[in-house]
Formats: sequence, C-alpha cells, structure tokens
Amino acid sequence: MSTQRARPRPLRRLGLVALATGLLVALTACGGGAPSGSSGATGSSGSSGAAPQGGAAQGGGAAGGGEVIKIGVVLPTSGREAKPGTYQWEGIQLAIKQVNDKGGVSVGGKKMKIEPVFYDDESDQAKSASLVERAMTADKVVAVIGGYSTALGQAESVMPDRYQVPWITPGAAASTIFSQGYQWTFGTLTPVSELGYTTGKFLGWLVDQGKLQKGLKIAMVLENTDHGVDYGNGIEQWLKENPGYFTVVFKENFELGAPDFSGLLQKVKNAGADIFLSDAHLQDYITMHRQYVQAGLYHQMVSYGARGPEKDARDALGDAVTGIFAGIWWSKNLPYPQVKKFIEDYKAAYGREPDSWYAATAYDAVRALVTAIEQAGSLDKTAIRDALRKVELKDSLLPGQVLKFEANGQLKAPFVIVQNKPGGKVDIVYPADAATGEVIAPIPKK
Amino acid sequence: MTAGEFLNLLVAALLLAGIYATMSFGMTVIYGVMKIINLAHAGFMMLGAYFAYELYQRLGVDPILGSVLAIPVFFVLGVACYFLLVRWVPTSDQPTLPSLLLLFGLWLVLQNVGYSVWGNTDRSILTPFTLSTIRIGPVSISTLRAVVFAVAVLSLVVLQLVLTRTWFGRSVRALTQNKLAGQIVGIDTQRTAALTFGLGIAFAGMAGALLATLYSFNPDFGRPFLLRSFVIIVLGGLESFSGVAVGALILALVETFTILVVPAGYQVAISFALLVVALLVLPGGVASLFERRGRAA
Repeated sequence: MSTQRARPRPLRRLGLVALATGLLVALTACGGGAPSGSSGATGSSGSSGAAPQGGAAQGGGAAGGGEVIKIGVVLPTSGREAKPGTYQWEGIQLAIKQVNDKGGVSVGGKKMKIEPVFYDDESDQAKSASLVERAMTADKVVAVIGGYSTALGQAESVMPDRYQVPWITPGAAASTIFSQGYQWTFGTLTPVSELGYTTGKFLGWLVDQGKLQKGLKIAMVLENTDHGVDYGNGIEQWLKENPGYFTVVFKENFELGAPDFSGLLQKVKNAGADIFLSDAHLQDYITMHRQYVQAGLYHQMVSYGARGPEKDARDALGDAVTGIFAGIWWSKNLPYPQVKKFIEDYKAAYGREPDSWYAATAYDAVRALVTAIEQAGSLDKTAIRDALRKVELKDSLLPGQVLKFEANGQLKAPFVIVQNKPGGKVDIVYPADAATGEVIAPIPKK
Repeated sequence: MTAGEFLNLLVAALLLAGIYATMSFGMTVIYGVMKIINLAHAGFMMLGAYFAYELYQRLGVDPILGSVLAIPVFFVLGVACYFLLVRWVPTSDQPTLPSLLLLFGLWLVLQNVGYSVWGNTDRSILTPFTLSTIRIGPVSISTLRAVVFAVAVLSLVVLQLVLTRTWFGRSVRALTQNKLAGQIVGIDTQRTAALTFGLGIAFAGMAGALLATLYSFNPDFGRPFLLRSFVIIVLGGLESFSGVAVGALILALVETFTILVVPAGYQVAISFALLVVALLVLPGGVASLFERRGRAA
C-alpha cells in the first residue's frame, strides 16, 4: 500500500511541474519573442481588435482598386508591441495623408487616393499572419505594410509569396526573413548585420583619426538571438575585410533576460580587452552595464549594439551611460531638410516629435510603395512588385538619404552612430557629414 | 583564477542566492499549505515593482521602504484574491489542473492590466545607491544586492519564527503535514488558507519591489525569475523555507561558476537540467535529505 502511494507522487509532481513549465514556455513563445528594435517607446495603445479599419473601397477593380487604392496595414497597436506599432501606424497615416492631400497616386494618368485598411494584430504572431492573409485574400489589397518586431514580421513573411502580394515591413530586420529567397518581401529596416558592420567601420575610422590605436583587442558578448548573431557576424565581416585593425579576444553569447552577469563579466575582465561590444535588449543593457560599473570594469570604447541613448537607460543608470555609443537606424538630428520637414509635419499631426526611428521607416515604406505604383502605372501586383525592386527614393529620411532595396528585398542604408554625452546629451558622431558633435574616444577613465 | 576573483564570484553567487530566495519564499508558502503552484507569482512581483516605482516617483519614498510598505498592501490584495478567485477551485493534497490554469490566467490578466496602465516602456528606479558598491579587500559588493540578501535572510528568520512560535504558524505546519488531521483538530482551513495566500502574495510584492531596485522592468517582468523559482522550490523540497534557501544557493552557485567553463547562453539549460535531475533523483528536494539524516540520527 505504501509503495503504491509513494510511486506516483514524484511522477504526478513531475507531470504538474512539466505542465506549469510548458505553460510558461508557451507564453514565452507567444509573447516573449525578441523585438528587433524595440527600445521602450512610450505612449498609449491604439485601436484594438482584428476588424479592419479604414472603410471599404468603392468600386473594386480587378486588383482591388477602383477609385481608391487599398493598402493593408498590419501592426500591433495593443499588447506588448503597442507603442512602436502605434508610432509606425502614425508614420504611415502621415505619409498617406500627404499623398492624398496632393490629389493621390498617379496610376496610368489617373489620380487615385490611397485607402489604408488597418488591422491590429495585438502583438500576436498567429493573429498577425492570419490578418495579412485576410488582407491579401478577402480584402484584396494591392500591398501590405506590416510586421513590427522580428517575431511578428517573421510570422507575416510567409504570406506574400503564397498570395503573390507585395509586402513591406518597416519594423523587422532579421536576416532569417530576407534569406529565404522570397520574391514578394521588402523591408525598410537595414539588416542588423549592417549595424555590426557599421560598428566595425566606426571603430576603424577612430583608428584612422588617431583617436584609437591600431591592434586593440575586442571583447564581444551577444544576446543569443538572431539579432545578436547578425550583429556579431557584421563586426567580424568588417574585421575580415580590414585585417590588422582589431583582434577579437573574447566572444560569447548570453541568455536574454538573465538576472546576473557577474560570471560573464568576470570572463570579459580576464580577457584583457580594450573595447567592449555587447548586443543587448534594453533590460539586459541596463542590468549588464549596472554590474559592469559595479565591477569596476573599464574599456576604451563601450557599446550595447543598438542600445545606448534611451532615456530609460539614463533614468536607470544616470551619468554611468556617458561615453556609450550605439548604432541606430534613424535619428531626428539627421541634418537633412526632408528630416526637418518630416519632424515638423509629424509634430503638427500628433503634437509631439517622433519617438526613435519607428515612424520614419514606416513613412518611407509608404513613399516607396507609392513611387512603385506610379512607376508600374497600374494596380497589377506583379508590376508593383517589379517596380519596387527598382525603386530609388533619393530624398529618403534614412541615413544616406537613398532608399533602394537590395536583391533580397531589404534596404541597406548606413547606420548612424550616436554617443551619450555628459548632461544627458546625445550626439551623432558618425558618419562625419551628419555629426552633431565630437566623438569622445577613448572614454576617459573615471 | 586568482583568489580575489574566486572570492568575488563567490560573493556574487551568495548575493544572487539572496535574490532567488526572496522571490521564491512566496511561492513556497502557498504551495506548502494549499498545494497550489502560483503561476501568477510573476504578475504580483511585477505589480510590486510598479508599486515601489510609483511610490518613489510620486512621493519620493525610498524603494527599500517601499518594499516594506508592499507587505501589508499585497497581503490584503492576496487575501482578496483568495476569497474572490482561489477558494472556488477544487483543492487536493496534490496540485490540481484548475488551480494551475486559474493562476496562469490571472497572470495574463495582471500582465495586460500592466500594459494598459504603464505601457511597455521599461522603467527603472535610480537612487544614490544604484551603482554604489562596498569594497572589502579585493571583493566588490553591490550595496543594493547586499540589502536584498539581508532581506532574504531576515525573511527566512521571520518565517521560521512565525511558523514555530505562533498559532497561525502551527496551523500552517499542521495543514502542510496533513490537511485532514488538521481539520479534525479544529483548524479553520479556510481562514488559514486565506492568510497563507495573502502571505505568499505579500512576499511576491515585496520581492518585486526589491528587485525593482536591481533591474529595469515592464509588465512582462518576472518571467525569467518564475522559471528559476520553479527550479529552486523543487530543489528545496517544495514545502521547506530553509530548503528553498539551500535550493537558491545551489542554483546561484551552479549558474555563477559553470559560466566559467560553459558559455553564458546555456544558463537556462543548466537551470532546467537541475530541475530534471532534482525531480528524478531527489523528488523530495534537499529538505528530504535533511529529514533522512534526522531520522537516521
């Protein structure tokens, strides 16, 4: 009797703990995906539910046109990605309004207005994919703009080729989306590998400027996500093309959201590197840099990939973030006239300046699509796709001012390097023609 | 590795164990009496973090004091949760699926309430102690981690005193050992369960408030900690506070020192390997080892 009672207990316990763990893992899979560029934007959620917004098109031509051009927009305006998704939706609305205010898109000599059909995917991967499917099939849009964050973008990216409808993502940049050989997929966010490459280029430029010595040693710690892998690959690619500048003496991945980095930082310390490069989400950046400072570590240059200038980090760490540099997709300080006008228009429309890069890539996604439709001269989806491949926006908001898709459908614009300065200031320090301040290199030892 | 580096890592592991123990006590106290795995624990930790944040931002209350204030507030919240939700689910001497699903659902609700109220922006609390360290020879100790460690030790002592010196504690121990026998001798199980759930949630709120001084947080806060809490309470024996402290120490030591030979990216795998080993080899946790030794003596 006692043995019969004793045997099932561990098994039952095992089963329940396994179930509980399974629930947690399932939740992690649903909502814990790593956003490709989330930097903790603020604001409030937008519209909710899966119902499309924007009204039905009048008429309804062969390709969903008629007197209006229906464009599907699938973004999260509720759930964990609500803020960046809302900002991207705002950028899209602003661009569409400006096009419509000028009479619309010229298609084969006829002016047609754009009608966005908006769907909130609620930051849910499955919903995101099914809404793109719905837009492309039932609602017969000519193209879809959508996919903020790598996780949601990946879920959506399987639909365009299936239904042969152009899809432009303004918020997902992982190489896993653009290395599948898809023919109908485009992205206005430069790949993360380019972030790593630009980081290498920036450091090399500092050597050429005489601010850093040649042959310095680099320690790299990367989050174990596609983002981290792409970042590391980008740096190594530059180092391979430019031998002699730096040597990587330490490279290791770390767990996303780890509660403690003491052991990892001890290894970094032991490596005796001169430059510390990490690729981390905001929470990990704050936790890691807090322990970095507490451990008394010092490196001549420090970066956390795309993280660095966020207000949240300064709120959490104060002046300890001074000197940290970061590569970002876009900055409102870019000295281009079209950027200044965009900021003025955005402020007029929403009463505040754009937060981070979200609205800019979405705004340019609409402009690229409009240009492609005009060049195609029809609402035929294949013609629009082919035109998108050739689009070249020469007054892009993005660094370098030119928006042109590569053969894989992704934009490859340069990154802007910004650096935290004392007193909460953030300057663009690279490329030199966009710089708003002098680079601090090496970071002074405290 | 030099002796100084070894000492630094050892201290880091001890401080990490303090963090782990603080966040696991709440789950243990609820499981011990009610046999409920509180999956909403992370949700209450998240609320505790925002509680300390709001007190600090609006009233300038130090987050350590905020963590103390969280205890009564979250105790009341826990008791209310018990009467509104938890008492309706069937209980048993083993965890039940309805309770698991109820609390998982509650966690999702709390998370979404968090997103609605505070958005998904990461928040942090910056105090004059955030970056401060205490240096003893070659050893560098984070002041706030030391405070969390001290709170963990204090919590363990207070919990042991409550369990051994009060009527409520005796009721808890009796129900933990044998619920039916407890009822026969006149223990009010409903009242004890309500107070226990309140106590568990109070610990979750306090832990969240303390962790808010160490980490940035958003409504998803607590997920990685919850996974580790599972490992710790299974290692500790599910019903023993001192076992939890030992479990937290084991996990912290293993995580901190294995990084020296295994890439840091495998930390989660190490935690889960420990969970599986503990369940298969030592299903009663380290507490059962102490019991066996006690019986042998």
